[in-house]
Amino acid sequence: MTPSEGARAGTGRELEMLDSLLALGGLVLLRDSVEWEGRSLLKALVKKSALCGEQVHILGCEVSEEEFREGFDSDINNRLVYHDFFRDPLNWSKTEEAFPGGPLGALRAMCKRTDPVPVTIALDSLSWLLLRLPCTTLCQALHAVSHQDSCPGDSSSVGKVSVLGLLHEELHGPGPVGALSSLAQTEVTLGGTTGQASAHILCRRPRQRPTDQTQWFSILPDFSLDLQEGLSVESQPYSDPHIPPVDPTTHLTFNLHLSKKEREARDSLILPFQFSSEKQQALLRPRPGQATSHIFYEPDAYDDLDQEDPDDDLDI
Amino acid sequence: MAAAATCGSVAASTGSAVATASKNNVTSFQRRGRRASGTNDSGPRLVSITGTRPSVRNGQLLVSTGLPALDQLLGGGLAVGTVLLIEEDKYNIYSPLLFKYFLAEGIVNGHTLLVASAKEDPANILQELPAPLLDDKCKKEFDEDVYNHKTPESNIKMKIAWRYQLLPKMEQIGPVSSSRFGHYYDASKRMPQELIEASNWHGFFLPEKISSTLKVEPCSLTPGYTKLLQFIQNIIYEEGFDGSNPQKKQRNILRIGIQNLGSPLWGDDICCAENGGNSHSLTKFLYVLRGLLRTSLSACIITMPTHLIQNKAIIARVTTLSDIVVGLESFIGSERETNPLYKDYHGLIHIRQIPRLNNLICDESDVKDLAFKLKRKLFTIERLHLPPDLSDTVSRSSKMDLAESAKRLGPGCGMMAGGKKHLDF
Repeated sequence: MTPSEGARAGTGRELEMLDSLLALGGLVLLRDSVEWEGRSLLKALVKKSALCGEQVHILGCEVSEEEFREGFDSDINNRLVYHDFFRDPLNWSKTEEAFPGGPLGALRAMCKRTDPVPVTIALDSLSWLLLRLPCTTLCQALHAVSHQDSCPGDSSSVGKVSVLGLLHEELHGPGPVGALSSLAQTEVTLGGTTGQASAHILCRRPRQRPTDQTQWFSILPDFSLDLQEGLSVESQPYSDPHIPPVDPTTHLTFNLHLSKKEREARDSLILPFQFSSEKQQALLRPRPGQATSHIFYEPDAYDDLDQEDPDDDLDI
Repeated sequence: MAAAATCGSVAASTGSAVATASKNNVTSFQRRGRRASGTNDSGPRLVSITGTRPSVRNGQLLVSTGLPALDQLLGGGLAVGTVLLIEEDKYNIYSPLLFKYFLAEGIVNGHTLLVASAKEDPANILQELPAPLLDDKCKKEFDEDVYNHKTPESNIKMKIAWRYQLLPKMEQIGPVSSSRFGHYYDASKRMPQELIEASNWHGFFLPEKISSTLKVEPCSLTPGYTKLLQFIQNIIYEEGFDGSNPQKKQRNILRIGIQNLGSPLWGDDICCAENGGNSHSLTKFLYVLRGLLRTSLSACIITMPTHLIQNKAIIARVTTLSDIVVGLESFIGSERETNPLYKDYHGLIHIRQIPRLNNLICDESDVKDLAFKLKRKLFTIERLHLPPDLSDTVSRSSKMDLAESAKRLGPGCGMMAGGKKHLDF
């Protein structure tokens, strides 16, 4: 068993949620707020993908490297590739950094990968980038990074890319948040009630209906996830349960259903314009020429076959 | 234009009628036999472009949008030289379908395609086009689809109206055999590779065409839009859609499809900020595009995520600058999903604008409440019918909900449940 399979065969459902978030690839947007912070979920996802053997890159902009690495054990810390933009965001110290273009340059450099290993890129945080870069540039860069693997054909050698972005909803207006969520493949909105955190997960698979679910969880100190059955908020059923629905077919003055005998009687009734066999024969008989036409008339019971014109009686 | 041609052909036919009068002593009028094309050309021939037809109202040249139901609602089709704007639904599931139907119709008719997108590679978009249903297979597929949903009683042969048994069962759609305008597509199958390769198409994928470090001056078009306009203009000029290069081969229509215009991936920030620096970029683009289209034989479809645009005034300007505007509203994620009024449908279609081309009035259809449904193979557009309000002891809250949702419907079928107060007779 490879290490990644060993990690996946862990205890029950705790891994399903993280698995489902990472499985789809693309941009995973973690929307948090002041009350329900999302950095611990981000770190849980980072730990999960490191254990699965993926290459993990972290663009740390909002918190220092020591603070981010806190809580991870040394084996995971060794696997993380950390790009620090917190200590010197404007690059005043002019040291030989790997990515001279700042975080945007780092993102763009990651677009040009060619190795087949799946990669997870964690952006801590997307809000920091959104406040300093134009929104359109950021959207274009994110789209380019997260969609490298989606072209069929010759680029099947490039591994799956997941971009985890932490977004603080309260810092931005509806515009940028809407634009980013339309780009995201998965959107996790953190919320909850007193003491219990919940994640509302919306998955947009391409060309399929989006699926959403709400999951109650808590994060343990070693950044593994503990799923819980919380109070699930059901959508209200449409009909009002207090008043029973009334059947409108009771107390009718006419008959809506037919009994068997009535049905038989109805079926055996001969209709006035029935397609009888004589008419059928006459239609099927080959006609002598197209010029002649026949009129088929079957006299009714009430027909008057008198040839006189009834208007002859009038004195006009 | 069409009338002159028929006059010419009638004059030619009387000559041939007299000659054959003596053959048959029943009548002296003989139907003129079909003459082989290209020989004995005695009258002016009407040169028509495949896949187009003149409108019955005003003679405007029309192309099909790929959905015959939508063609009917737009007054016969999309006029050549105009823009069809589709306002995307919230999760962008159904608008790509309409986009693909438009392109598939172009391939089936042999038109030239120009596909522009900032999100997906145009080659990938073309791989996912729906397969056309051609004549005899068509009827079988339809009947399969129809019978899956109907109750068993409707399979009984008709006894009184037996002559109607052979007519198609659905009210609006039905395969019109040997139609050269408006084809049906099977959404569950892909278009065969040979048809795509045999077609002439041009793709514009923004990330390939533009380097990302360009500086944008204020009050000008974003570089993505500029490049796209130049590309379209080049294609129109080189392939002779605007009448230049008349020695080239037979005239054809250019179908332009632009996906997700206005989204941040095109470099436009109207979805991100309410009063961005480049808020006139999109409107300028549409203005120049319309000028290009009006002077060439082309038709354009644009899908736009208007639900993301922050400034509502821009949406109003964009609507005025386009010719036909169709809005899609899907029920996914909204409270209408559970409303029994809408349980058969996947969303509503709003026809927001129809153009007045060379006319004083426009071709408005009188059906304003339309809903769409994506079945396994078909995308159908149907009139939304309100169910009869049967019982008078249904709880008041559910009646209020029906009234609220019916408020948005037009006067055609909403009179009964309109308004907050219920008058039960």
